[in-house]
Parts: sequence; C-alpha cells; structure tokens
Amino acid sequence: MSLIKDWINKGRLKSPWVVHFDCGSCNGCDIEVLACLTPVFDVERFGIINVGNPKHADVLLVTGTVNHRNKKVLKNIYDQMPDPKAVIAIGACGSSGGVFRECYNVVGGVDQVIPVDVYVPGCPAKPEAIIDGVVTALEVVKAKLGLAEMPKVTVIE
Amino acid sequence: MFKLILALIGLAATPVLGGLIAGLDRRITARLQSRFGPPILQPFYDVLKLLGKAPMVVNSWQVLCAYIYVVSSALAVFLFFMQGDLLLLFFVMTVGAVFQVVGALSVNSPYSQVGAQRELIQMLAYEPLIILVFVGISMATGSFMISDVYALEKPLLTQMPFLFIALGYALTIKLRKSPFDISACHHAHQEIVRGVLTEYSGPHLALLEIGHWFDVVLILGLCTLFWHTSLTGMLLLLAVTYFIEVLIDNITARMTWQWMLKGALGVGLVLSMFNILWLYVS
Amino acid sequence: MLDTLVFGCVAFPLLAALAVYFVRGEAARRLIVPGAVAVTALSALGMAGSGPIMFAPKSFLGIGLDGLIAFLDFALLFYILYLGTKMRHLLIMGMTVLQIVGLIYLEFFLMDHGATVPGFYVDSLSLTMVLIISFVGGLICVYGLGYMKEHEEHLHLPQTKQPRFFFFVVLFLGAMNGLVLSNNLAWMYFFWEITTLCSFMLIGHDGTDEAKTNATRALWMNMVGGVAFVFALLFLQKGMGTLSVQDILARAVEPEMRTTAVLLPMAMLCLAGFTKSAQLPFQSWLCGAMVAPTPVSALLHSSTMVKAGVYLILRMAPGYAGTALSTGVALFGAFTFIVTSALAAGQSNGKKILAYSTIANLGLIVACAGINTAASVAAAMMLIIFHAISKGLLFLCVGAIEQKIGSRNIEDMRNLFERMPRTAVITVIGIVTMMLPPFGMLIAKWMAIESAAGAMSAMPLLVIMIALGSALTVLFWARWAGIMLGSSRPGFGPMQEEQDITIRLPLVSLVGGALVLSLLAPFVYTGLVEPAIAMYAKASAYGVSIGTIGNTMGAFAVYPLYLLLGAGFYYAWRAARNTPDSAASLPYMGGSQMTQDGVVGFNGPMNQFVPNAAGNYYLEKLFGEAQLTKPGNVVAIVLLILMIGGML
Repeated sequence: MSLIKDWINKGRLKSPWVVHFDCGSCNGCDIEVLACLTPVFDVERFGIINVGNPKHADVLLVTGTVNHRNKKVLKNIYDQMPDPKAVIAIGACGSSGGVFRECYNVVGGVDQVIPVDVYVPGCPAKPEAIIDGVVTALEVVKAKLGLAEMPKVTVIE
Repeated sequence: MFKLILALIGLAATPVLGGLIAGLDRRITARLQSRFGPPILQPFYDVLKLLGKAPMVVNSWQVLCAYIYVVSSALAVFLFFMQGDLLLLFFVMTVGAVFQVVGALSVNSPYSQVGAQRELIQMLAYEPLIILVFVGISMATGSFMISDVYALEKPLLTQMPFLFIALGYALTIKLRKSPFDISACHHAHQEIVRGVLTEYSGPHLALLEIGHWFDVVLILGLCTLFWHTSLTGMLLLLAVTYFIEVLIDNITARMTWQWMLKGALGVGLVLSMFNILWLYVS
Repeated sequence: MLDTLVFGCVAFPLLAALAVYFVRGEAARRLIVPGAVAVTALSALGMAGSGPIMFAPKSFLGIGLDGLIAFLDFALLFYILYLGTKMRHLLIMGMTVLQIVGLIYLEFFLMDHGATVPGFYVDSLSLTMVLIISFVGGLICVYGLGYMKEHEEHLHLPQTKQPRFFFFVVLFLGAMNGLVLSNNLAWMYFFWEITTLCSFMLIGHDGTDEAKTNATRALWMNMVGGVAFVFALLFLQKGMGTLSVQDILARAVEPEMRTTAVLLPMAMLCLAGFTKSAQLPFQSWLCGAMVAPTPVSALLHSSTMVKAGVYLILRMAPGYAGTALSTGVALFGAFTFIVTSALAAGQSNGKKILAYSTIANLGLIVACAGINTAASVAAAMMLIIFHAISKGLLFLCVGAIEQKIGSRNIEDMRNLFERMPRTAVITVIGIVTMMLPPFGMLIAKWMAIESAAGAMSAMPLLVIMIALGSALTVLFWARWAGIMLGSSRPGFGPMQEEQDITIRLPLVSLVGGALVLSLLAPFVYTGLVEPAIAMYAKASAYGVSIGTIGNTMGAFAVYPLYLLLGAGFYYAWRAARNTPDSAASLPYMGGSQMTQDGVVGFNGPMNQFVPNAAGNYYLEKLFGEAQLTKPGNVVAIVLLILMIGGML
C-alpha cells in the first residue's frame, strides 16, 4: 500500500498540471507565462501541461489584480480544483495589487480571496522566475504531503 | 489454455505499453517542435498523480461510464490477444466509445455536450472504415478470425494497401490527432476546454486515460495484422505508421467536423470501395 | 391437440375481441384482455417443441373453412370499398375493386376447389412469430389498459372508446397469428387484409383530422400491397396450380421452375411485403402512423404487423434463392437500411426516431433474406426476435414518458433521470440492448454483417451500405441514451417513481426479457432458428458450443462476453453508487457556474442567472427529412422497377 502511495507522491511531484487565470492583468505576465510553454523555456520537460479547466489542474497560476467583478470567479475556479492543489500569484499585481492597489475596483492581490502558496514578483515576472515559482510550489506541495519541510522564502534576482 | 495465459499476460502488459507509446508520442512531438519534451515515463506520472487526486464529479453516471469504458477496452484487447473474431472485437470496443459519449452527455455542461456531439460524429466517421477493413480482411483470409490472418502466407499489406490507408484515417481519429482531433484534443486543451473529458477529474480521468491506452494498443495491433509474416516487417510498419501519425498531427491544424466527414469518411470510403472491389474480382 | 392450440391462437382472440366490444365496463376489460392474452400465450407455448406439422382443418363449427374464409374475404374487401367510397378516396376505391375482381377470378375461375390445400403449417419460423406476437403483443395489450385510461383522461373524452380500441387490438393478435401460421396463401391474404383493416382503424382511433389522413395513407399504401398479393395469387395458381406455400417452395427450386411465371409472383409477394413493412418508398405511412396511441405504435408498427411483411419475404426466400430477384431484394433492403438510419439520425421526435429505426431494421432483415445464405437467414430470424422485444419496449417507454412530460421530443427528455428515474433507466437499458454487445440485437447484427461479407453477389455494395447504416444507428441511439441520463448530483438517489402497474409490469417484463433472452441467445438459436434453417437452407449456419455461436467465418462468445461485461458493469455500478457526496461539483463554466432552484446554469450578463441549455446536432442538411426523403424514394422506386422489370 505504501509503495503505491510513494508512486502517487512521485507522480504528484513530476506532473503538475497548470491552469492559468487572468484576474484583470495587463497581459504582461500572461505573455510571460505563455512564453514558458514555448520551445525556448519548455516547461513540459517538468511534466507541466497547461490545461483548460480547473478540474484537471493541480496548480493555479493567477495574474492580475483581483477586482470585485472577478473575485467570485476566482473563488469558483479555486474550489473546482480537486485536492491536492497549490496557488501561485504571479506578478506585482497578483502579489499585492501592484500599482493599481489603491483603485476603487481593485481588491488588492490574490491572497485576499484564496490562500496563496507562492508569490512570484515582477512586472512582468520573468519566465525563469515563473518556472522557479512552479518548482517552489511543488516543494510546498511536498511539504503539505509531509515529505519535506516548508521551503524558506527566497529572493530571486 | 496456453493461449489464455499468453492473452492474460498481453492484457497485463497493454497499459504499460500504451503508456510508453503515449510518452514516446509526446517526446517525438516535442523534438519535432525543437524542444526537449517530457521523459518517456511521463504518462505514468500523470496517471499516478490523477489517481491520487480527490474525486470530483457532477453525477455518478460519469463514474459508471468511466469504469465501463476501461472494462470494454480491456476486454477488446483481450479478445485481440485471444485471436478472436475481429467484428466482435470491434463491437466490444464500441461499448466503451458509446459509454464515453453517454457519460459526457449526462452532464449539463456546454463543453461536455458539444464534445459529445463531436465525438458522435467522429464515431460516425471511423466506424464504417474499420468495419470495411475487417470485411476486406475476411475477403483475403475467408473469415473474420484473427487466427486465420496468421495462417496466411503473404502479408495483408500486399493485397489491401488502400484499406490500410483507410485504417490510417480511423487510426488518426481514434488517436485524437490533428486534423481529426475535434472532440478532445490531446495537446491543445483549450478549444472546447477538453470536450468529452471536461467534467472528469482525478481518478476517473485516470481511468479514461488508461482506457485510451488500451484503445491505442488495440488499433496499433490491428495495424500489425497487415504484416504478420515477419517481426521486423511488423515493427517497421508500426514505427513508420506511428511516426507519420505524429508528423501529421504536428503539421496540420484541427479542422471542422464537416471537413472530417468529407475528408476521412468520404476519402476512406472511396479507398475502401476500391480495395474491396479489387479483392472481390481477384 | 394441435387444433385446440391453433384455435386458441387464431380464433379465440376473435371471440375475446367480440367480448371486449360488447361487454362494456373497465373491470370487465381488465379481466378479458389479460385473459385473452394469457390463453393466446399458452397456446403459443403449447405449440413449442413440436416439429414441423402440416395442419389441414376442414371446417370450423360445421362450415367449410375454405368457403368461409373466401366469403369473409369478399365481405372485408367490400367493407373497405365502402370505407373508400365514404372517404371518396379514388386510390383506395380503385385498388379495392382491382382486388375484388382479382379474387373473383381466382375463386371462381382458377381455383381447383376439389384439391385440398393444407391451411396451416407450424414450423420453427411460424412458431417464432407466434411466440413474439403472443408474448410481446400480449404485454403490450396489458400496457394498453393503463395507457388508454390515462390517454382518454388527457383528451377529456365524454364516452370511452376503449371497447373499440381493444376489439381491434385483440382481433389483430388473432389475425397475425393466423397470418404466420397460414400455409394456404389465400388464407394468408385474408389475414393480411384483416391486419390492414385493424391498422387503419387503430391509426384513426383518436378521430382527429391528422389521424384520419394518416390512416387513409396507411390504407392505400397497404392496398398497393394487397393488389400485388392478389396478382401473385393469380399467377401462382395459374403457373403452379397450388397456393400451398410448402408445395410452392418445394417445386420452385427445380431449375425449370426458375421462370418469369414463377419469379414474377414471388417479386409481387416481395412487393406486398415491402408495403406492409413500410420500406422505401412506402415509409411515409409508418411515420404518419405515429399519431396513433402508443400501444398501437408498439404493437402494430414495430413488433408485429410490420414483421408480417418481412416474414412473408423470409418465408418465400428459398423460392427465389440464387436468382437476380434475390440480389435485387438484398440491395433494396440494404438501401432502405442506410437511408432510414440516416433519416433517424436527423430526427428529434422520439417516436419518429423509433419509426425510422424500425424501418431500418426491417430493411436489414429484408437484405438478409435477399442474401439468402444459411447464415443470413439465421441473422434475419435473430433480428426479428430481438428487435421485436427491444423495439416494443422502447415504444412503451416513450409512451409512458410522453404521458408524464407531455412531449415526445427527445430534447424535452433531457435530465429525465431526475424526474422519472426508473423509466429513464429502463429506456436506456432498452437502447443499449438495441445496439451493444453482448445483447441479442448485436448478435443478430454481427451475423448480418458476416453473412453480407459472405454474400454471393453484389457483396461490396451490400457491405458498404450495411456498415454505414450500422454506424448511423449508433449515432442516434447513443445520443438519446446520454441525454436521458442527465443528472446534477452524485449518487443514484432513491429512484422513486409512481407508475400504474399495468404500465410498470410490461416495461419491467420486457426489459428483463430482453436481458435474459440475450443471455440465452445460444438456446434461442438452437431451439428456434436452427430448425428453420436446417429445413430451408438444408445447410447449417452456425454451431453452438459452450455458449459460443460460431462457424468458419467467425465466432461470438456469448456467455464469456456476457459474464465479463456483466461483472464489469456490476463493479462499475458499485463504484458509481458509492461516490461520496463530498465529490459533488457543478459543471465547469468558466468559474461562473451556479444553481438556482435546482437548475444548473451560470452567472450571466447583468448578474442574471442563465440556465444551461444544449441541443443535439441533428445535421439536418445531411440527414434531414427534407434532404433525404425525395432522393431516397426516387432511388427506391428505380430499384423496385429494376427488380420487378428484371423478371420480365
């Protein structure tokens, strides 16, 4: 039994399927996310596939400031992801609301709506940083599964 | 008895084989796209991960249909290894395909519904072609039994080249490869989300994936029947056919169902008719 | 003994019909109809197990039967002439007059009244038909009791018309039994015309203008078949000097008998069969007949009456085996199969889907009869048996559904599982038995395709049409089954549903019968089909060993397949039933999904709830009636002309 559990855990770490949701981003971070999927950066090496709906996904990539219009949608998408899952907030806007923080319609960062596991700052965040973010999210998942310790905060130059 | 044991071993090996073929598919696709691609064992990691997810379904008919799909595809592969009746094998495979559609139709989701309708049209396109290929085989060997194919002296490919091309059309549709991947594309997951597979997740999606592996092995196995006289010939035929499938997948775009009916069914029927007439007069 | 059994099947229903007509009162009906049905069924069972017997009753209650039937025949034709005159329908009047003239010539100038033609012949083929008519037909009659009561309440009828309804339905059972048991073609013609009359009366039962128009259309198209039948009787009497089916078949195989004089009446009998079975171009009467109450559609227009046509074609098949006529019949049947399957794929009206599917399966049976090998005749008989059960079941289900939801459009049957769980499940099981292994219909279809691959002529064209038609049938069946199972919560729930016992009982019996009979398919084959083939084709079609039906062409492992698929289904059912409630989720709708009053939808523009809506692809440009009917009819008429003209 525990052998199967080990295999499943290995599968979880080697096959993180990603669903991407744009919460009002300027699309700068979205383009960088897209770049990760292209041949130059090729995240499929790590088993990462961009899936179309949260029901198939393990990792939620959120870009953009969250506003009052799409916070419900974001929550719905997060709820429709089966466990175990992780959330990555990408870009300055996703982390804290960025330059738009004081705006009347902006909620101010993804963690106001759903629990975030990894923040990838940048405006836009570089593809290398995004890949690092996903790898860190996997380590967070590993920690949640009780297989390792929570990764410490790292600053990526 | 010996045949039964061999068939059971074959049945157990099929998911492994299917997963490796899927992994190879992704690797070759990646290389064709100038990138590295995932490890060949990646599909196994995917399925294991999916098995470990919490279940999430809209209704229980999806669960029922996912299980029946795997059972019937496995049963069809078992019949193949037992060298049974080709037509019977095809109908058993149809059970799985129909239940996959039924499971998708039972969910009130727009993507699922459209995906199911497209899947039905796909079935309409490949089913006559496969039946006609089997009829052609029956004309060449005198029966529908796979065991009689192995008793032939010359490979079927010499007598039925056009029917093999028609089978190639059916293979493209079954493998969900462009330009005929209109109901649930393997690679681009965005057109109608995932079509028939949209509302499945976790362990049930894993079941559907394993069922798909059985189907892939089965259809490729049908291709091997065309050059049964030599093992190298068989492997060569398989490798070339599969590589061409992956190549076509990468160089074509997804087309519409009307195009598929005209292109796959229309052209396939003409080729089959020609080959069957050829076999009929000779 | 045999005369009692034949009486019980053929004449007793007439008495019971009269009783049902004159003894008014619902309680009496609920007693007489099941009673009559039980007697018929028991008589049918009683005949099982006896080998082929020729039975020549001379008289009935002291009256000479030949004369009695001739007299009743004329009376019937004059009555139909009266009906035609009242409706001022020139076609009906003209064709009835033709038949009367032909019959006069036959009775008074041609027929040798001294020679005895045995009236009835009981063999495997006729016994199969009698069992189907008595059991499936019987269950449909019982269903009719509960259905008609509800039906008349819906219509707010001031006075019940059920006595008339059940008179014709029970009379019909007797007439059908008489038809399939007949050896004397003149008697068969008599029973044939009774079924035509019953069909006319029952289609027009509701009395609306639409019903009357469709009943009239059914009448004149069947009259065309009647004229062809009389034509055939005249020629056969002239050319062979006898109207005994067995004598004709015995002599028709002799080489010098393969002349126009013999084959032309055979072609005419096939034409009569085509009209009765609503093959192209006569399919409009069957589609129009769907306005009738559901028991009529189930009984006459799927399980039994339309089977009379293919029964005649199959019965006469050894007579024209190996001729161009046989190839013509096969091509005609296969063409009907593919065109009507395509027409069914373009339909959203549930009863029309069933009607076109019935015509398609009858076309397949005709094609098998035309292929005329031992294997194809086996396929034809298996198709007749299993189609009757499954299609009858589906019609009854659609009737029950229509009464509950008020519509027969399959789009309105979406999510039926949430409103009528048991009926929805029974209907889906019925659909599955129609098109998937390991069930009987699929065994029959497998036999049909394999025998088509072994056909002696026109094989490529036949297999292509049958392969395409087969793929089309999967399209419309799978679509219908899927949308009925629509549901939005995990678990199968308590599956509560209220239904009258006279409706629930036939549904459950037929679905159970379909499932069990499919498991017992090898026994059905050895018991009913094999003796008929051995007698006719004088060759063996398939061998049965440890639950596998097979021959040199292929093998169908019934028991292993049934058990393995059944075990898989059971395992799947348990897993599905045990889905935890925590797994419940709404469909993916881009994150905007929500429910309101139990309806699934999404948060639409202006924050308004939009319920989820979907529709099937009916591909009307490809498969619509407007596209296919005209070309299909034209080609069918051309094929008919070639088939009959080829005889001249």
